[in-house]
Amino acid sequence: MMLLRLITWPYVRKHLLRTLLTTAGIVLGVAVFVGMHTANQSVLHAFNRTVYQIAGATQLQVTAGEAGFPEEILEKVQAHPGVAVAVPVIEAAVQTGIEGQGNLLILGVDMTGDRSLRDYDLENAGDTIIEDPLVFLAQPDSLIVSEQFSRRTGLALNRKLTMRTMQGPRQFTIRGVMKSAGMASAFGGNLAIMDVYAAQLVFGRGRKFDRIDLTVRAGASVDGVRRGLQRALGEGLQVDPPGSRGKQFEAMLQIYSMSGNVTSIFALFIGLFLIYNTFSIAVTQRRSEIGILRALGATRGQIKRLFLLESGITGLLGSLAGLALGVIIARGMAAYIGGLIGNVYGVAQRAEEVAADPRLLASALGLGLLTSLIAGWLPARNAAQVDPVRALQKGRVQVISAGENRARRLTAAVMLALAVVCVFYGHQQAVFYTGYLLSILAVLLMTPALGNWLTQALRPALKRIRPVEGALAADSLLQAPRRTSGAVAALALSIALVIGLGGIARSSFESITTWAETALNPDFFITGSESITQRSFCFSDTLGPEIAAVPGVEEVQAVRTVRIIHQGTPVMLVATDVERLARRVRLKVIEGRRQEMYAGAARGEGVVISDNFALIHRVHLGDVLRVPSPGGMLSLRVLGVVQDYSDTQGTILLDRRLFLRHWRDDTINAFRVYLRPGAARDAVRQDLLNRFGGQMRFYVLTNQELKDYIRKLTEQWFGLTYVQIAVAVLVAILGIVNALTVSISDRRRELGVLRAVGGLRNQIRHTIWIEALTIGVLGLTIGFALGAVHLYYILEVAKRDLSGTRLDYRYPFQIAATLLPVVLGAALISAIGPAESAVRGSLVEALEYE
Amino acid sequence: MNRLAFTLLCALPALAQDARQIVDEAQKRSRAGSQRYEGTLEVIDARRKVSTKRWVYERLGAAGESKAVLRFTAPAEVKGVALLIHNHPDRASDQWMWTPAVARERRIALQDRRTRFFGTDFTFEDLEERDVDRASYKLLGEENHLGALCWKIQSTPRVDARSQYSRTLLWIRKDNYVLLQVEGYGAGKNEDKLIRRIRYSDIEKIQNIWTARMLEVHDLERDSRTVMKLEKLQYNLPLSPENFTLQALRRER
Repeated sequence: MMLLRLITWPYVRKHLLRTLLTTAGIVLGVAVFVGMHTANQSVLHAFNRTVYQIAGATQLQVTAGEAGFPEEILEKVQAHPGVAVAVPVIEAAVQTGIEGQGNLLILGVDMTGDRSLRDYDLENAGDTIIEDPLVFLAQPDSLIVSEQFSRRTGLALNRKLTMRTMQGPRQFTIRGVMKSAGMASAFGGNLAIMDVYAAQLVFGRGRKFDRIDLTVRAGASVDGVRRGLQRALGEGLQVDPPGSRGKQFEAMLQIYSMSGNVTSIFALFIGLFLIYNTFSIAVTQRRSEIGILRALGATRGQIKRLFLLESGITGLLGSLAGLALGVIIARGMAAYIGGLIGNVYGVAQRAEEVAADPRLLASALGLGLLTSLIAGWLPARNAAQVDPVRALQKGRVQVISAGENRARRLTAAVMLALAVVCVFYGHQQAVFYTGYLLSILAVLLMTPALGNWLTQALRPALKRIRPVEGALAADSLLQAPRRTSGAVAALALSIALVIGLGGIARSSFESITTWAETALNPDFFITGSESITQRSFCFSDTLGPEIAAVPGVEEVQAVRTVRIIHQGTPVMLVATDVERLARRVRLKVIEGRRQEMYAGAARGEGVVISDNFALIHRVHLGDVLRVPSPGGMLSLRVLGVVQDYSDTQGTILLDRRLFLRHWRDDTINAFRVYLRPGAARDAVRQDLLNRFGGQMRFYVLTNQELKDYIRKLTEQWFGLTYVQIAVAVLVAILGIVNALTVSISDRRRELGVLRAVGGLRNQIRHTIWIEALTIGVLGLTIGFALGAVHLYYILEVAKRDLSGTRLDYRYPFQIAATLLPVVLGAALISAIGPAESAVRGSLVEALEYE
Repeated sequence: MNRLAFTLLCALPALAQDARQIVDEAQKRSRAGSQRYEGTLEVIDARRKVSTKRWVYERLGAAGESKAVLRFTAPAEVKGVALLIHNHPDRASDQWMWTPAVARERRIALQDRRTRFFGTDFTFEDLEERDVDRASYKLLGEENHLGALCWKIQSTPRVDARSQYSRTLLWIRKDNYVLLQVEGYGAGKNEDKLIRRIRYSDIEKIQNIWTARMLEVHDLERDSRTVMKLEKLQYNLPLSPENFTLQALRRER
């Protein structure tokens, strides 16, 4: 402790700015890690809480994906000896049409029994808040809203709320107000209750329920009842606890967790190099102190521990700052992710409480500390090896010996070779990720050599531009490769991170755009919901021929999309007339033959699956899928695999006749409408709206509107990527500032000598500027190359471990071109401070430095 | 609707043979092959706000094994809403509710019978008829009650009866075996808590059957009351069994 107080503290005080910049990487790495995971956990926690708030006392839920199931199932469930209470439920998200209120989740329940499961808080001390339960049931326009919603909108008892239903715009009457606790607080109070049979009418569900909520009889085991009921109902229906609904949500958030992890690891890697760099310089600058300490009897171990302690404290402080920043970041991210979920699930999930998990904080703290200790270990070891006699010799340690260089190059070559081998054996997860790590380490190990070669290559050009300053700058970098390589490595990592993130965004955009051009080629999409991703409202299939009869319409394809649970994960089932679809849409075939696969699917012999489904579930052409349907488990052969980005969890395409047979569901989510050549698009659209718009919920989206919507959705998905890019650019800039600050401090005497022998202030300024720009060029060059490798790996990660999406490799040249002026500009700007410090300082002091 | 008394009466267990005989006799004396009346229902909530409904009730068959239809006639918002009840001697009744506005019937599941009957102070269970053997009885003594000498009997439902009550107390007039009062006690933790009281009044002989023309239910937990008046009451009318089916429920709107 005494050494810390006497030796370290004065040094830190003298180089406060540098110390702060050094910790920046750790701060950002820890902050991104904590922010991303805390946001995910908070939104997930809020979602699960919402699920349980809505579920009430429900112990098990019977579902058949989104398709629902016939009403008769209810009696079967109620008759099961282990079941105490079983009630039907319909769930749908509806736009309120009230400005700023967003969507309302409507829960259709049977109030005659549902109150045994859910506490509606309708009554308090005998004060009946529901006007008349019989009127509520007798009138299908009855709605119970939460107190919060009622207060916000001014919709008190007996007030009317107009909503668009499948029978056109309808007025609903508020016949009850739930107290703002428990269930009523779900989705921030944007929850309403209506009679389940009225909901069937309003949402066009026919005689089906979405799910059955149940409790088990007192004394019965929940799991036992679950298994018994599952056997009784067959595999076509799922019997699970309410918590399993969080799975799908978790799968979505996993993408963010993973991408957050990659960014965090990169930021920590950058931090590692920044710390390594700073500590290496510190060891150099404090060689005389170390020599004196050693001469006074300090052991090598004590010196090593001193430097390790310093790096540990740096890591600890950086990590603590990162934790605090992470919690702040989490708040912003939670709102963003919650809103994003709302786009897909109908109602925004608000994470009102963002609370970090202590275990997560401890892990992040440990990660930051460990990174710092690893970074400090080599400089600490070097410090311990300082020979007291040679301690006053300067400069030599900045040179990397030929032997060390050879060893580095050899190690890098071995790592690179192993990484290449790993690519070929990358089907095993551990091998793949080892290869990923080895390739990055190989490039980083090669950084000094690459930096040296590049600087040598640049030297003539620099000399030509500025004969004195250019040569001086190049030589300075060549003479201190250890100092330069740390900064260059940190910068290269930052740039690689930006390239990787930008690349995946570009690849996704281009792949999705290409797919959308092919798959979404009808002139109009007619849906019952405001958004194509919402499936709350369904049409009757009799509407199809009516639309087809409208003048100008050439063909109408009816599509029913439902989310089902396949092997525990939600996937999208798309039922349509496959033969007609195949005539119009030519998706890229991954496995199988186009004609055969669609003809077979049209005959009901099997299904065509999306590429991401195939990758996530590891199925191929010819395999047999076990698909749950309300009528039981179906065995469907995979007739082909196509590239399809309709759903992040994967799609199964089957013929509608097969769907009708097994799901007994003749409703439609969307109609794909093709117009006759020469038909006036706007006129046909207006005609459609005139004919059907007044009778039911009827939205006509043009091809362009749908594509714009998908683009917007994709952009939102990648919204966080841009935040990560900004973080990476910030880290890159910090890296340059740090490296130059360290470099100038280290070379104050050298720069002083230059001035003493007649060097002009401007020459010194220009030397430092050129040096900064050169570091920028080196970082950009290596970073672009490393980014290319990084992009390959993260596309593979996306394919194999995230969404199963096979994205085309697209190097983000536009982002690379943007980075050039940004990084070089940042390098130049970050050089101004150190350059001014170098030229304005006292010459005597500079000459006396060290 | 005086069958309501037997619902509560029979839903409880006890052991004394005498008590059972009294209950059995009371049930026998009120037995009729069919029944029809027009009822008026007044619900007076804790704030003393009164809401009124009217209905027509028809029953075919004897207590414990009958079919009944209850159809609301007023106010306009609930007109046409109907309840079909199939009572069984050996198990709980089947009940369906018909709501004309959505043209749908819904089955009211056994487990939901604790639910209040459409905002009244009756529960669905209170509307059921049960066989005398579905409960056990114990004669607690005799006492003057509401101006008449009564037997005070405790009825305890059998375990398989799945009642909301742990026991009920019955006051049956000694002179004519008419039920005067029923008190229902909660189950589980509320075993000793009186949760509902039903009083029968305006008792007169109609077609040789002593009948209470007015019932008052008091929900002691919510402090609300429901008063039911029976008008145009007739027994042993010729009613068609076809009127007591789901098809009939759907047909008559």
